[in-house]
Amino acid sequence: MAEAARVSPNVVERFTPTARWVHWIHTGAFIELCLSGFLIFLPWFGPWMTGSVGTWIRIIHRVGVVVFVAPPVIYAIFNPVKVWYFIEEAFVWGKDDFGWIKAAPSYYFGGDPRLMPPQGYINTGEKLFRLAMVFGVAAFVVTGFIMWFFKGTVAPPVYQWCLLVHDVAFILAVAFLFLHVQLAMLHPRMDEGILAMIDGKVSGHYAKSHHGKWYEQVAKEEKD
Amino acid sequence: MVEKAILFDATRCTACRGCQVACKQWNELKGEISTFTGTYENPSDLSAETWLKIRFTEKAEDGTFSWLFSRQSCMHCTEAACVDVCPTGALFHNEYGSVSLDKEKCIGCGYCMEFCPFHVPRLDVERFSGAGKMSKCILCTNPGFNRISAGLEPACVKTCPTDALIFGDRDELVAEGRRRVTNLKTPHSRAYPQANLYGETELGGLHVLYVLADSPEVYGLPADPQLPIVNRVRDILNPLRWVVWGGMAGVLLFNLVVARIRQNLAKEE
Repeated sequence: MAEAARVSPNVVERFTPTARWVHWIHTGAFIELCLSGFLIFLPWFGPWMTGSVGTWIRIIHRVGVVVFVAPPVIYAIFNPVKVWYFIEEAFVWGKDDFGWIKAAPSYYFGGDPRLMPPQGYINTGEKLFRLAMVFGVAAFVVTGFIMWFFKGTVAPPVYQWCLLVHDVAFILAVAFLFLHVQLAMLHPRMDEGILAMIDGKVSGHYAKSHHGKWYEQVAKEEKD
Repeated sequence: MVEKAILFDATRCTACRGCQVACKQWNELKGEISTFTGTYENPSDLSAETWLKIRFTEKAEDGTFSWLFSRQSCMHCTEAACVDVCPTGALFHNEYGSVSLDKEKCIGCGYCMEFCPFHVPRLDVERFSGAGKMSKCILCTNPGFNRISAGLEPACVKTCPTDALIFGDRDELVAEGRRRVTNLKTPHSRAYPQANLYGETELGGLHVLYVLADSPEVYGLPADPQLPIVNRVRDILNPLRWVVWGGMAGVLLFNLVVARIRQNLAKEE
């Protein structure tokens, strides 16, 4: 990150204010979509969301979609290179990534951190998460778009499969949300995860121990 | 309660369309302006305001032209995809075995329309907001003016001048339908060797039975209607989601406990 680490070497900028805004608006919309989708989709809730209540929940779901899609799209219009890099980053794999996969189970259950190969700006787990997110969002948006605007005009089997894909994506997305929250907020090893997304900075120590390769790069730029 | 059904005999239907009018009148459905599309069939399709129509299938054989008339409306399946997929229980099987709709509960999602093997339910919807209501034949079980519980026939049956439509206990109508098919097949100058009874076993048994002069496909009906695969997958998926989420939560909780304990132990050392 070229613009990172303008401050002292002990504090490193991890997320720009724009990135944080996009993250939190996207997150808020995602949670709203999960809750409204949950209510529409599960037959358990049927009796409580009949008639105009249900119709309103479906309208709120649509508003949520616009809020969910807008931040990344606007970001991509103003900074296409960065958004492209955001996606590309997840596809670039090396030997340290396979080393990460080997070391991760022990590491996350509190094993020796020295066994973990040094990681870049995002680690392999984050790459996997980002891949899931890119494909998941694509699946949600494409199937949701068809179901919203082509209801009654698209061939019924296409609609049926869209509904199914949307639901499978939902099941997986909620599971991934649990994982994301755990690693950002609850896991003892990731003690600065959530702070980085709130004030944008992490300590030099955290950067060094969690993203060794990235920290070296930042420190080098700092020296120059 | 004994299951009720309608028996439609295609060989008796003259396409007078009295049933279409009676349906509109009884259910207070608006008339619609239609356009000529090169056929006497009118209107050209079902809609939220048209729950029943007679389909005209044109047939040209050995230089002679003929029509095959069939009734296009809800088939009131036992294994009903619409009931299965409805998220609010707005669609349900009534005491007579047919499929009723509680419009108050309908949220206008349109899943029923997309899953029905006969493409019957129609949505009156505002595209952008998605707000709307579904409509279809409810076999005259409208709350407040339920013809069936009042001991009357459905409006379409009542008005049919040729008895192409009859209403009664399903078992009796199945027997009657079989008898008619046997008669139609009996060789004579106007026999229908392809005659068949449609709806006896399809989708667990339909509550609209057809005596057809030819194979179902000729009438534009699916020969072997099935519950869409997605219905069945969803039936598995709904409980499975709790396994996935519960499993994930369990693993994460276990991970948290182990990681914290080991971290504390490491600090003490």
